[in-house]
Amino acid sequence: MSDNTADREIVISRLFNAPRDLVFQAFTDPKHVDHWYGPRGFTTKTVGMDVRPGGAWNYVMHHEQYGSFKNRIRYHEVARPSRLKYTHDSGVDDDPAAFEVTVTFEEVSGKTKVTMRSVFPSAEEVARVKGFGAVEGGQQTLERLAEWLAA
Amino acid sequence: MTGNLDATFSALADPTRRAILAALANGEATVLELAEPFSMSLPAVSKHLKVLERAGLITRGRDAQRRPCRLDTGPLKEVAEFAERYREHWEASFDRLDGYLETMKKSTAKRQQIKSRAVK
Repeated sequence: MSDNTADREIVISRLFNAPRDLVFQAFTDPKHVDHWYGPRGFTTKTVGMDVRPGGAWNYVMHHEQYGSFKNRIRYHEVARPSRLKYTHDSGVDDDPAAFEVTVTFEEVSGKTKVTMRSVFPSAEEVARVKGFGAVEGGQQTLERLAEWLAA
Repeated sequence: MTGNLDATFSALADPTRRAILAALANGEATVLELAEPFSMSLPAVSKHLKVLERAGLITRGRDAQRRPCRLDTGPLKEVAEFAERYREHWEASFDRLDGYLETMKKSTAKRQQIKSRAVK
């Protein structure tokens, strides 16, 4: 993958008031992950989770109106409790809409900063990512657009 | 429309072009008006405008003298809506995780309490 991915990556981060081990556990323990993961209005049901390089997390996201969406995360790198690297797809091999995600967990004076960097294969696939594409986006106002562009 | 997304994304990859679009969000402007705040030469601004025009992000007026630039939000909406949805997915998840971590902290504390009582 080329170094210049700025035009097709999305970076999101958040500071959590909890120790790093706990936050990492929330991301990687099937007992916990279904309790918080997923877009608004969706429930997440883990089918299987094996967090190690070469292992996978299979889950189904369900929405009353939009139906169910299969998701698969295949782990390439698992550095407990600081880093995860994985491919996110719809559970089928060679999914053209698959994308790469790196999640880092940093200790910041007793709190934990989580940063998700998602790199999409091409701009066209960005528009087609399953699951997210099914959700009707709210109407964007020019103002928010300008804000996003200036960011 | 989706065929143009590659052009849209590469046009958006440049900070000056993003700033030009942000400026046009406030209303149409001429090349001259756009060049001023960026302290750029007219040919340099024109070059950026050509890229934006090819990507369908701006349209230019017919008035041969002024040719005012106008923002076209069609392709931007597609990109922004995707990014927005993806962000919303994670914002919603992170909001829930925030609360769920409190639950996890409490149950960890409880387990430790039981453990220390058992040791006694």
